[in-house]
Amino acid sequence: MSGNPFDSADEEPSASSDEILEGFLCPICRADLKSIDFLTQHFARQHAEEEDALKSVFKDIFTKAKKKILNNFEDERNRAVPPAATPSASATNAAGPNGAKASNARTQLNVYNNMFKQSAGAERSHFEYFQTVRNPRLERYASETNKLIIRLHRLLKDLPTDAVQRKQHEQLTVPWLDGSSVKLCPNCAKSFHIARRQHHCRLCGGIMCHDCSRFLQLENAMQLASLSTTRGEPLQQMQHQEYRAIRLCQHCLRLLDTRQDMHESRTCRPLMSQVYEEIRQLQKQVTPDLDMYLKIVNSLHEGESIFTIADSGALRGKIGQVAEKIDLRSKRILTIHSEPGSRDEALKKAIRLSCVQAIKERMLSLPPLPDEAYIRRIQERKRMETEQRILTEQRMAMEAYERNGSAAQSGVSLENRSFAQGSDLQSLNNWSAPQASATMSSVDDPLIEQINIIKGYIKQARQDLNFDVVETLELNLRELQREVYERQRQSSNSATTPQLDS
Amino acid sequence: MSTLAEVCDINSTQCCQQLFTQIKYLQFDALSKKLASIMNLISGIKLYIEKMCTESGPGMKIILLDKETTSIISMAFSQSDMLQREVYLFERLDSGRSNERLKYLKCIVFIRPTKQNIQLLANELRNPKYSSYFIYFSNIIPRTDIKYLAECDESESVREVKELYADYLCVNPNLFSINMPNCMTNLNWLPDALTRSVQGITAVLLSLKLNPVIRYRAGSQVAQLLAKLIYDQTTKESSLFDFRGNVDGAAPPLLLLLDRRDDPVTPLLHQWSYQAMVHELLNIRNNRVDLSERPNVPKEFKELVLSGDQDEFYGSNMYANYGEIGSTIKQLMEEFQRKANDHKKVESIADMKNFIDSYPQFKKMSGTVQKHLCVMGELSSISNKRNLFEVSELEQEIACKAEHSAQLQRIKKLIADERVNVDDAIKLVALYALRYERHANCDTSGLLQIIKTRGGNTQIVPALIEYAGMHVRQGDLFNMVRITDAVKLTRILIKGLKGVENVFTQHTPLLKETLDDVFKGRELEPVYPAINSELVPYRRPPQEVVVFIIGGATYEEALTVHQLNNAGYRVILGGTTIHNSQSFINEVLAATSGTQFKHTKSMLKYCSPDNI
Repeated sequence: MSGNPFDSADEEPSASSDEILEGFLCPICRADLKSIDFLTQHFARQHAEEEDALKSVFKDIFTKAKKKILNNFEDERNRAVPPAATPSASATNAAGPNGAKASNARTQLNVYNNMFKQSAGAERSHFEYFQTVRNPRLERYASETNKLIIRLHRLLKDLPTDAVQRKQHEQLTVPWLDGSSVKLCPNCAKSFHIARRQHHCRLCGGIMCHDCSRFLQLENAMQLASLSTTRGEPLQQMQHQEYRAIRLCQHCLRLLDTRQDMHESRTCRPLMSQVYEEIRQLQKQVTPDLDMYLKIVNSLHEGESIFTIADSGALRGKIGQVAEKIDLRSKRILTIHSEPGSRDEALKKAIRLSCVQAIKERMLSLPPLPDEAYIRRIQERKRMETEQRILTEQRMAMEAYERNGSAAQSGVSLENRSFAQGSDLQSLNNWSAPQASATMSSVDDPLIEQINIIKGYIKQARQDLNFDVVETLELNLRELQREVYERQRQSSNSATTPQLDS
Repeated sequence: MSTLAEVCDINSTQCCQQLFTQIKYLQFDALSKKLASIMNLISGIKLYIEKMCTESGPGMKIILLDKETTSIISMAFSQSDMLQREVYLFERLDSGRSNERLKYLKCIVFIRPTKQNIQLLANELRNPKYSSYFIYFSNIIPRTDIKYLAECDESESVREVKELYADYLCVNPNLFSINMPNCMTNLNWLPDALTRSVQGITAVLLSLKLNPVIRYRAGSQVAQLLAKLIYDQTTKESSLFDFRGNVDGAAPPLLLLLDRRDDPVTPLLHQWSYQAMVHELLNIRNNRVDLSERPNVPKEFKELVLSGDQDEFYGSNMYANYGEIGSTIKQLMEEFQRKANDHKKVESIADMKNFIDSYPQFKKMSGTVQKHLCVMGELSSISNKRNLFEVSELEQEIACKAEHSAQLQRIKKLIADERVNVDDAIKLVALYALRYERHANCDTSGLLQIIKTRGGNTQIVPALIEYAGMHVRQGDLFNMVRITDAVKLTRILIKGLKGVENVFTQHTPLLKETLDDVFKGRELEPVYPAINSELVPYRRPPQEVVVFIIGGATYEEALTVHQLNNAGYRVILGGTTIHNSQSFINEVLAATSGTQFKHTKSMLKYCSPDNI
């Protein structure tokens, strides 16, 4: 019986006995304790020394029930709050000078960021108070409703088709109030007589007149009691309209209606929301790609050689595909049927509009790619600049050396120069060509093996358009290459020095 | 400060720790200045609304508003901004609503905590149309109302109940209004306007996290009452107003409550800065200009949105004067034409690609240019038609220089001129009457006679004197200084020596002088007493100032405040409304209705409206 939080508490203990009991039952002595609070108290007092195993069973049942009462909302909330929101929340907490002592580096950083950005103003939540007022009421309603549903379940389980038998069955499940002393309808205060006869609510046994009676269709009732409708098939054959429904009083019907409503609003997921979720998913997926694309274009303009033009072209193509998918889905939403002029329709149009906007503003208005010749020019210029810088650095180092020259030894100058060359970016870029032959000869070097592996990875990552990985790998590769280069030079140095010595 | 900026990018804990101690003990002053510089009303509102959108989680949303919160949101966000935040539908709680149930929608409720709204919301909760409700009140709400709502939520659909203090209209980053075009009757508060003012100011303080010293204009009943009520509110909700900052030795912020009646001149003058001029001649309402009445306006510009936040051109030019705007627009036009020409010669595929790439920006830009061109066209045609250059020059002369007989002659000549609008003529007479109220040869009656023959409403002038005549005003509106006041005398002399740069913008509002006094740490005590004097620091100027003018602020004063902010001071201006001369005159008439006219016996025969 889904949507009926107390069932699990009720059914499990009663499973051992034949009789079905309702209410807040103690799992051990099976006394009805009327409410959760009493039940917990009773259990704590009477059965405190009972076996642990039983206790844990009991606890289990109740935590389950509680979870259901608090419903899936909590999880939903947790899922809803994006991870980005958490640091900002912690930052506001830590905004005070004392709070900033928090050990978490991330929190601290946020404190500083907050200093430069305006933080949201003061706020005050009343939800806690709201809940303390609302929840006891809801609990009362819930237990009442659950009682009704259990009765409904029993009522419908083997409902006889024959009218007389049915009445007997109904009276057996829910005792009817004695109507002999009731002269007026308790609801509308009109007197009962031959034309206005007494009727009984099938769920609470209360008395009312026909005008005050409400009817719950059997199909609905079956659904509410979580009985499959197939079992109710013989019921369909009943001719009278009246027999295909259950007579209820207003109060009971309202409780059941509210329950159904809540259930519906929690599980309602029409086609539109499914398609919409797909759209959001796509939009979320494409965001890192957009950032990456901008980064690549920037890097190309800067003259860096981590990414190639082909990379950005491929990424752009991918973004375009996603844009197309989003477009398609938002069009699909438009085709879902709805009443003209309704808010449903307005909603569809608004969603479509926002999709079109998002596509236009974020995906199609990406900056164009620089052409190849332009990039080569920039790269060339940048190389020249670095060369120039290195030259001046070397010169400065030489000058510095010459100034202190008399004191220093000749070995220092060699070291000095090699250090300057170590920071030489340009030589790194050109490194791969002359070294290619060297790598061939010394494949057994683990570093070079590593380099080859990484190169393979990069190729793969490029194919998968996973440019974050490409970037880190490229940087790793460079570090490795530098390392190899250093080593080789050192070895050649050490090779040459002894020669000099000898 | 550069070190601080750099540190933002550094991730290491150690560095932050180091910096923190450094900031705390060495650079506190600089830091507090930087901290204080963050006082932007528009982003204040935006942050609140963004908070609503994120707190309600992902999914399709509808937002349920009332009349006022609708304008509050529309001042900060455009509809497409809201669409990007998954808010697809807007609905008014207080007007006819359909019964359609959309159970797959989340509902954000953002309303003012009025009795009527609570009742409507309670009905909604009893019969929920949406799956879940996130309720945000724009101001402090009594606990009993929360209880009532909680009792109505039988289907457990409420997920959040919060106060977020977005309860004012942010016009500019440092200008707010609470949209009360008339706040007085019988020269005292309208009760509704008073409560709304208290709420509006409280919200501003809370959204900027300020717990200020409250000063008010001595001798002004309305200012004193407002100060008292705000003070009561801050003490009653002291936990809310418990912000750090004041303890660290920085001077507390200042809330200065002024009375429009101290400076009735500023709203009467014709303005030449863009925003002020548009408001004066075309009337801005909630950042919107209605041009539907004007002939020759293209259909798509019947209603214009002028928001400095969404319109870059307007944002950077709203304080520029008429002449500057003209040349900026010309430049923009040329650039636009150049681009348009570029686009015309689409010959090769490469051209085509280029065109597509830059098309969105191109379209955006062309829209902006055309819009402002249209507005400027209207402004210039009105100015020429109403002979505003001449009128404005004389207005400025009266406001700034005392030359009675010469000015009287010029006024007489101008107001008899048929080319001059009667309303402009009345404003000239009103300025004269204010300036020379106690002058021996004051001839207001004579001037009113001329107005009367032209069919103008003469009642305005005596009403204005009753509202803001010499008997009400304090301070030196017209710089009538006695020889004994040496400091002021030299200030005026220096001003005189500098000469006039522009005849149309000689006048500076009284507010500038007041704020100068505040920031220079001059003694404020007798004129602006503090209601919570325990917070008052000894002779130290405040870091942040919120000014509120009862009876409405003007865009000219907003310009003053903007200039001060550019100079590094932190000021925010607010008013019961933002006036132009017409709305100000209406307010004066409403405020004086029902009072006995005691100070304008000589103009008695022009007082009653039947005399026209």
